[in-house]
Amino acid sequence: MKLQRIAAVAERVLRQLAHDRRVLAFMLLIPAAAMILFGYSFSGDIRDVRVAVIDEDRTDLTASILESLAADETISLRVLPSGEDPERLLLEEGYQGVIRLPAKFTSLYYAHFAMGVATSAQGRIDLTLDESDPQIAAAIQKSLADALMDLGEGGPVDVQTHDLYGVEVRFIDSFAPAIMGLVVAMISTVLTLLSIVREKVDGTFARVWVSPVRRAEFILGYVLAFGLVALVQSLVVLGIGSLVFHIVINGSVFWAFLCVILFAVGSVGLGTLLSAVAQTESQAIVSFPLVMLPSVLLSGMMWPVQAIPAVLRPLSYLVPLTYSNRVLRAVMVKGLAPWQEPVGFARVLAFVVLTVAAAALVLRQQGRRSD
Amino acid sequence: MNPAGPVFAATAVEKTFGTLRAVDGLSMAVEAGEIYGLVGPSGSGKTTLLRMLCGLTAPTGGEARLLGSAMPRERRKVESQFGYMPQERAVYRDLTVAENLLFFGQVYGMPRRRIAARTAELLAMMKLADRSGQRADRLSGGEKQRLSLACTLVHEADALLLDEPTIGLDPALRAEFWDHFRDLSSRGRTLLVSTHYLLEADRCRRVGLMQRGRLVAEGTPDALRTLAGERAGHPVRDMEDVFLVLTRSEGGAR
Repeated sequence: MKLQRIAAVAERVLRQLAHDRRVLAFMLLIPAAAMILFGYSFSGDIRDVRVAVIDEDRTDLTASILESLAADETISLRVLPSGEDPERLLLEEGYQGVIRLPAKFTSLYYAHFAMGVATSAQGRIDLTLDESDPQIAAAIQKSLADALMDLGEGGPVDVQTHDLYGVEVRFIDSFAPAIMGLVVAMISTVLTLLSIVREKVDGTFARVWVSPVRRAEFILGYVLAFGLVALVQSLVVLGIGSLVFHIVINGSVFWAFLCVILFAVGSVGLGTLLSAVAQTESQAIVSFPLVMLPSVLLSGMMWPVQAIPAVLRPLSYLVPLTYSNRVLRAVMVKGLAPWQEPVGFARVLAFVVLTVAAAALVLRQQGRRSD
Repeated sequence: MNPAGPVFAATAVEKTFGTLRAVDGLSMAVEAGEIYGLVGPSGSGKTTLLRMLCGLTAPTGGEARLLGSAMPRERRKVESQFGYMPQERAVYRDLTVAENLLFFGQVYGMPRRRIAARTAELLAMMKLADRSGQRADRLSGGEKQRLSLACTLVHEADALLLDEPTIGLDPALRAEFWDHFRDLSSRGRTLLVSTHYLLEADRCRRVGLMQRGRLVAEGTPDALRTLAGERAGHPVRDMEDVFLVLTRSEGGAR
């Protein structure tokens, strides 16, 4: 063994890396992005969770509870008139929790003190939670408990929590839809990217472009292939989820599959789009973490988007998986149809249309500039 | 088809990349049934000319026509009637030999049964019959090159543009390739073959000598020998000498 030869090999490898500026840029960018994203993401507290309060009692006591809740940064509070249906607010208005302070809350609360410990009289609060994200549900429960503690008298309040979906939703139940989206996004994006870069490097692109194959046919071919792959991947995730982890699927598996396939189409578009930047297979491979990291950290998969610090949250709203998560959770956990989560569904559709249109443009450019 | 006119035609065709003139006002025409050799050193513009003729890249001046259609504008009219073999081996390395042929047959709309028959024919011709199920990345360099040629021939096109089809092959295999080309030509196909092996020029019916994006001389191999002999003032037999004499007398002027 000779140090000189080892050094020669090392020097050659470093020179090769230095010659590929894009790989070099990625090598520096990835650790920086990873540290920033992980650092911020782990340090975040849940904030701005949308909670509605229906105060049917309207007393000084309920006003002070409302004041405590309003001061809590975890939740973004909206006071609504009595008569609103909590379930409708959760399913249609996008609230994640509804707190109802019934009439007589105050009188029952004080009755307890007047009549002493012997009485069973208690103020009752109804809390209806969207448990499709258990971390958010827990955060709302904690905020309410804190607000009640603020009354300072250790008062007798019975918080009755209603499960919106009839069963308790566990972390794994809301995690499975995210895993489905993540796996499909990763595989479809990265394999499309690698495959197209290979076509360029190997020269098969030139053969395909002189043949009667149209650009639209080329993309649709990829879409069809990865749509099928996505379907199989979803079956595997759901199969293992159901059999091993007993995940709860409240909604239609059909809609879930359809959404996953739709997301795969957008991911194929994204992969094609990235192929405009990556000219070699190494460049394609190093771009992998750039797709992976934001998807895992910012999409609300590991922790709610509300727990992501305000600095990074705009990025969350740029990550396609954020919307796929919303739609798939709405379908699988809440049992809704995709369009009943209109914002998420519209963004997933926009993702598909934009990336596929951009992919067509990219392929047109690459066809022209194939020298 | 365009029975009346030439199969490949370039008229004052030009291609510039930034400040580089890859093809510089070149005119040529290849008639049906010919084997036309585009001969010249690497970087003389052969590949760019072929790419313009098959519509992969647009000329920055002049006109390139294939079977009478202006390329790349009217490529759709003739897309099934020509085959192009790029300089890279251009096969799917993670597909088998037969799967590669299946794909390229399918994109030309051939029915599966026809592709299967054509595959058997081509694999026998290219001596790849026993490699049918082998992945392309496990083939030797020569085998890959033969597969690449087979992929170009699968849809039985009349006009063939072959970019350095014999590059990297040993002399025996090169001779075999040229036998295939002659065979194709005898069946009425038109071949435009680029090569930097000057000795291969002798195997073509007509030869265009390219240097720095221009055609410095054109004619049958014998006509080029005569021309070189006249310019040198003594007989010139060897094709390499022919090229040197004719390019020197061009003065390398640009």
